[in-house]
Amino acid sequence: MLGASALQRLGIATASTALALAIGLVVVAAAGYDPGTFLADMFEGAFGDRNAIGRTLKFTTVFILVGVAVAVAFRAGVFNIGVQGQFIVGGFATVVSILWLAPLLPGGTVGGLALLALGTVAGVVAGGLYAALPGILKAYGGANEIITTIMLNFIAVGVVGYLVEGPLRGEGNRAPNTARIPEYVRLPSVVFDSPDFSIVGLAVALVVVGIVSVVMIRTRIGYDMVTSGHQEAAATFSGVDAGRTIVTTMTFSGMVAGVAGAVFAIMIQGYYSDPGGVATYGFDAIAVSLLAANNPLGVVPAALLFGGLDSAGTHIGINSDVPPQLIDGVVGLVVLFVAAPELFRMAARRTGLGGESR
Amino acid sequence: MSVAGYVERNRLGIGGAVAVVLLALVLAVALDLPVAAIVTVGFVERALQAATPIALAAIGGLYAEKSGVFNIGLEGFMILGAANAAAFVWLLGGESPTQGDLWLAILAAVLVSLVYTLLFAVLLIRYRADQIVAGLAVWFIGLGFGPFSAVLLWGSRNSPGLVRVNDVTVPVLADLPLLGPVLFDTSPLVLATAVVAVVAWVVLYRTRYGYWVQAAGENPEALATAGVSVRRVRYASVLFSGAMAGLAGAVLLAHAGSFTGTGDTMVNGRGWIGIVAYLFGNYNPVGAAAAALLFGGLDMLQIQFQTAGIELPNRLVNLFPYVAVVVVLTVWGSTRMPSAVGEPYESEE
Repeated sequence: MLGASALQRLGIATASTALALAIGLVVVAAAGYDPGTFLADMFEGAFGDRNAIGRTLKFTTVFILVGVAVAVAFRAGVFNIGVQGQFIVGGFATVVSILWLAPLLPGGTVGGLALLALGTVAGVVAGGLYAALPGILKAYGGANEIITTIMLNFIAVGVVGYLVEGPLRGEGNRAPNTARIPEYVRLPSVVFDSPDFSIVGLAVALVVVGIVSVVMIRTRIGYDMVTSGHQEAAATFSGVDAGRTIVTTMTFSGMVAGVAGAVFAIMIQGYYSDPGGVATYGFDAIAVSLLAANNPLGVVPAALLFGGLDSAGTHIGINSDVPPQLIDGVVGLVVLFVAAPELFRMAARRTGLGGESR
Repeated sequence: MSVAGYVERNRLGIGGAVAVVLLALVLAVALDLPVAAIVTVGFVERALQAATPIALAAIGGLYAEKSGVFNIGLEGFMILGAANAAAFVWLLGGESPTQGDLWLAILAAVLVSLVYTLLFAVLLIRYRADQIVAGLAVWFIGLGFGPFSAVLLWGSRNSPGLVRVNDVTVPVLADLPLLGPVLFDTSPLVLATAVVAVVAWVVLYRTRYGYWVQAAGENPEALATAGVSVRRVRYASVLFSGAMAGLAGAVLLAHAGSFTGTGDTMVNGRGWIGIVAYLFGNYNPVGAAAAALLFGGLDMLQIQFQTAGIELPNRLVNLFPYVAVVVVLTVWGSTRMPSAVGEPYESEE
């Protein structure tokens, strides 16, 4: 995928998504539902009205951030499958630090802003540290990061789940949740009057995309990361410390995942619940990043697509009999097809649509 | 390689495992833990049962990797295997399926897994898909479509109680002290797994086909020069790995008795642990099964802790296998992979 031209990538991404959706529709029909109604429901659920658009943008915001987190690592040739865990640890750290600091700071707008900033920093630090661990294990212990990050996802769910069930459960809560963060610590409602989406959150996500792009393209660290990803030997010859670059890459990736966790915790949840029940944004993020060919800017449209799919899934879950888990399966199919660009190149050559040999 | 050769080559790994067990014993004595109440016959039986799905997935996965294809989709194939086995049990037997229904369902789930794996293998081998990404995709597909089919069938992500596999009891031998209940009064699937591990070892290291599999991963050019189709060997190995992962999922279901599709589903990382098991076992089927037993034992520790009256939160004890995987990978992380793994082989055909 990385070797393809921009136009080819766009074609492959579109074809992958279309093929995956087509298979999804066949499954819907085979399960005895009307694919036409399903498709209409999906569109309505994603973009049908102001509510639907707000919901789509809410998911898009999270997908942009987790997608960029994955893209940073993949670009540098490191597989960070642990974005889900870093996202959970980051969000949890955000909520806990806001709850601990709230009594020490004044209330109102000033305190709210300070808590927002401190909470986000806590999330970023926690996410970065949690990602640094598999980075260190890979760089200095030779441990395969694909498997360690997946294991750390399970460990994050278990440990945070234990903490919200017991020691850190909010007083008087029947559900395994932390206490709510104070009312004044929230993002303002502008344009969309939704309790769990603020355009400010989306703006934060876009700013992060900008920062990451600049770091990757314009700074020494970013240059080292990308060269190690493409040409490990060349990078080593030009004096790049491979081990240190892996750790830096993972930490940077985890910090972005931490921002995603903070935005999710503050904007969407307002408390932290058992992460076993939190949606698997960190996994879908892998699909988002791959669709975008691991380009931080390309993540934005890819995240919009996945935001729309998730929003449609929510709508379908409420308004239709088709189980919304279908959407997760379709996401998996998208990833599968993105992994095999050769499939589409061959199809394009056969049908005379171009696709000249690599 | 012989047992002595294996020990010779894996001195570090085996020494490490022994050190871990010794350390655990020392800790147990130092902290005054009731060892006798923790390591019981029941514990060994449960550990063996917990190890079977991990061992089966690991043995399949190591064949694929030996042949030069990293099948990282084991977890996904396990989820689909478990979901399909549950679905077949339900379709065959409804509310009260019999043992016969269960065995048929296991067989059917394996056959369906073969079909899925064929598509996967074509994408990997014919269309040179990125093995890591495509394998992850299989996991996502399993996480989506497994619970999806459960909701279609039962209106919930979990199935109702279906059926568990009955233990087989060998008369007389089952009355032997200690060994009797563990080996001769146990799930037939545990015994079958032990057989599979030994046969897989013999095939891989003692037959011509096993050498082809190894050559496809180490030196595909040489194998092609010898007139053997590298592609065909790789297809066969990947198909075997998918079928074994499907079987692993079905076995998991047969031991649990019902399908769980919430969270990470009932497979809950066992496919990933399977990958670590064969790395830890240094691509040796018997070693992989032994590593699976280690992880299975860790998985079952929580019940022992409870019965022994040790107060540890369940959710944290559940994390033992995952933590163990991270430790194992860190300490023995640099196992030597077959040199042509991950590279599509271009033949002149």
